[in-house]
Amino acid sequence: MNSKKKMTLSKKHNLTGWVFLFPGAFLIFMMSFVPMIQALLLSFKTGVGAAMKSCGVTNYVRMFQDAVFVQSIKNTFFYLIIQVPIMLIFALILASILNNKNLRFKGLFRTMIFLPCATSLVAYAVIFRSLFANNGLINLVLVNLGILDQPYSFLTHMWSARIVIIIALLWRWTGYNMVFYLSGLQNIEYSVYEAAKIDGASAAQTFFKITVPLLKPTILLTAIMSTNGTLQLFDESVNLTDGGPANASITMSHYIYNMSFKYVPNFGYAAAMSFLILILVAVLAFLQMKVGDKRD
Amino acid sequence: MKRKILAALLASTMVLSLTACGGGSDAPAADGGAAATEEAPAAEAPAADEAAPAADAAAGGDETLTVWCWDPAFNMNAMYEAEKVYQKDHPNFKLNVVETPWEDVQTKITTAATSGDLSTLPDIFLMQDNAFQKNVISFPDVCMDLTNSGVDFSQFAAGKTAYSVIDGKNYGVPFDNGAVVACYRTDYLEQAGLTIDDFTDITFDQYMENGKKVLEATGKPLISMQAGECDLIMMMMQSAGSSLFNEDGTANIVGNDTLKAVMETYKALKDSGVLVEVNSWDEYVGSMVSGDVAGTINGCWIMASIQTAEDQSGNWALTNMPSLVGVSSATNYSNNGGSSWAVTTKCANPDLACDFLASTFAGSTELYDNILSSGALATWAPAGDSNAYATPNDFFGGDAVSAKIVDFSTKVPSNITGVYYYEGRDAVATAITNYINGSDIDAEMQTAADTVNFLMGQ
Repeated sequence: MNSKKKMTLSKKHNLTGWVFLFPGAFLIFMMSFVPMIQALLLSFKTGVGAAMKSCGVTNYVRMFQDAVFVQSIKNTFFYLIIQVPIMLIFALILASILNNKNLRFKGLFRTMIFLPCATSLVAYAVIFRSLFANNGLINLVLVNLGILDQPYSFLTHMWSARIVIIIALLWRWTGYNMVFYLSGLQNIEYSVYEAAKIDGASAAQTFFKITVPLLKPTILLTAIMSTNGTLQLFDESVNLTDGGPANASITMSHYIYNMSFKYVPNFGYAAAMSFLILILVAVLAFLQMKVGDKRD
Repeated sequence: MKRKILAALLASTMVLSLTACGGGSDAPAADGGAAATEEAPAAEAPAADEAAPAADAAAGGDETLTVWCWDPAFNMNAMYEAEKVYQKDHPNFKLNVVETPWEDVQTKITTAATSGDLSTLPDIFLMQDNAFQKNVISFPDVCMDLTNSGVDFSQFAAGKTAYSVIDGKNYGVPFDNGAVVACYRTDYLEQAGLTIDDFTDITFDQYMENGKKVLEATGKPLISMQAGECDLIMMMMQSAGSSLFNEDGTANIVGNDTLKAVMETYKALKDSGVLVEVNSWDEYVGSMVSGDVAGTINGCWIMASIQTAEDQSGNWALTNMPSLVGVSSATNYSNNGGSSWAVTTKCANPDLACDFLASTFAGSTELYDNILSSGALATWAPAGDSNAYATPNDFFGGDAVSAKIVDFSTKVPSNITGVYYYEGRDAVATAITNYINGSDIDAEMQTAADTVNFLMGQ
């Protein structure tokens, strides 16, 4: 039996590893990468419905002449630039407050702040829509407090509609990012903070000189994830504002959806627009890594 | 150790063989709810042109059909009633009605058609008339040609059937009537010293005058509309026989005087407070049933939603819509929505499906009598002769509303939906929103036309 022992122990271990890796890798390749390549090929075709013909890079040129798509890019970047920094700063502050060893009911607070992440995207979007409706809670409170005479139609005005989306995103995702920071904070030795305290550092100094630098890898991770998520924003645009008023809050993914399913379907064009999102995500992630990671 | 490696290898080959089955080109339909019934093998998939159906074609086979439609109170109810009617002659017949919102129906059709795997589709589905042209032209493989299916299309209202006729072939069995009705709360009108007669055969100028009186007396707007959706715009357009597209499919937006008049009227209504915009469909229906508005204008199917407010029974009245001012072809009649039944080419038992439709929606006055109370008015001529249509409706003050609507529907000017209907609609909705917020009307109409022309290009 043991005469055929040709493999060394490490080779054997490696083989075992590959065998375990293979099914997963194969599935990911078949289910993710093959469709991606097919979509790439599709993006060089055009046509209505199932009848497609090759068109070279026309789709990629076309999207920049598409006023609505350009508008959707602007909207998406507006969300990105305003919402992501606010959210990350907020999450960081909350995480350092809740990391305090002397705080009571820590678990309760952490759960409460994380809880929005457990709600469905559609459900929370619909709830925000009714909160900000003409006869919704927000208007009711504002009118009864005498701040407004008439209910304000938040979702039919350009800027208020965008701001409502940002508020909704903050509510939904701040807790999610906070959890990453909390787990990052567990890896910082408490003795570092004690040393700072002995040296007489203020809370602000401790935060900026110790917490932020030591959390940098986590901050980088959350920044990339949030950027990625925001560029693919879909549910909020569809369910909360329906892209309105007058496309003022439509996101790229929402427009791609319209192009595929609401309008006369042009999947080639829709695929090309999806690839633009991929390129944007890749570029932004690359930039963030260059800016954020100073290890080499 | 050897044994472990062997076990791992065996496990992975099993996983692989499983995925290989799933990844093949003829993956089984794993769609949860929709494919709940056992379908006959795909090998029996029908050819596009079917001969006249034999009534007992399915003898011995499975007589279950899957249907997708979206409104439990309305079209799903109609299907259940149709099932009962058909079961009298076909005791083994069964329907599996799956509640599928129209948006989902559209998404599923698009996905199935572009992937070339129609097995996830039902046997029969309900399609919005406005989307019929688009879907048949984009996905010619999905809908079955029903021209020779045994359904007598000449008995349907011609304008209605036209929505589902493409290149001279019938692809849909017309279902509900979308004739526009204007409904008003008579108790609110009374407080303003008005009656329903003050709203009958009027123009939008008079509508606005009356609306201001009602607003003053009760504080209630006359109508609510969903912001960013241009239902009312399209109804006003069609009431003057105008469309966003020409016969040849080109956009008819710039220089369309009717559209301009419609946009100006809409803005005037909004500015005066007679019309209030809400954010969603739920809010729209809510504003009517909770008494926040004094009326609405919509396709007659809206009656089903209004009548859910049972406490308001007797306080509603129904009449025709106002007409546009300054447009020579203006009328008080229009159409909004409406849908038709389509049979998919995937249907394993097309004879049964056709015979079912031919003997119910295109052959049973009993069915139409049964579903009349839900607001499902026939576009099938023989049903209109039934006595049920003269029955007074207590909710609407004892008026014979059904007969009234059938009368309206005969006077509706026809229009052109075109393949790019939804593109046109969204572009005009954007133009209206910007115009209400102070933009120049001509510039906005130009932008809308540019948007539509851009989307029609490849």
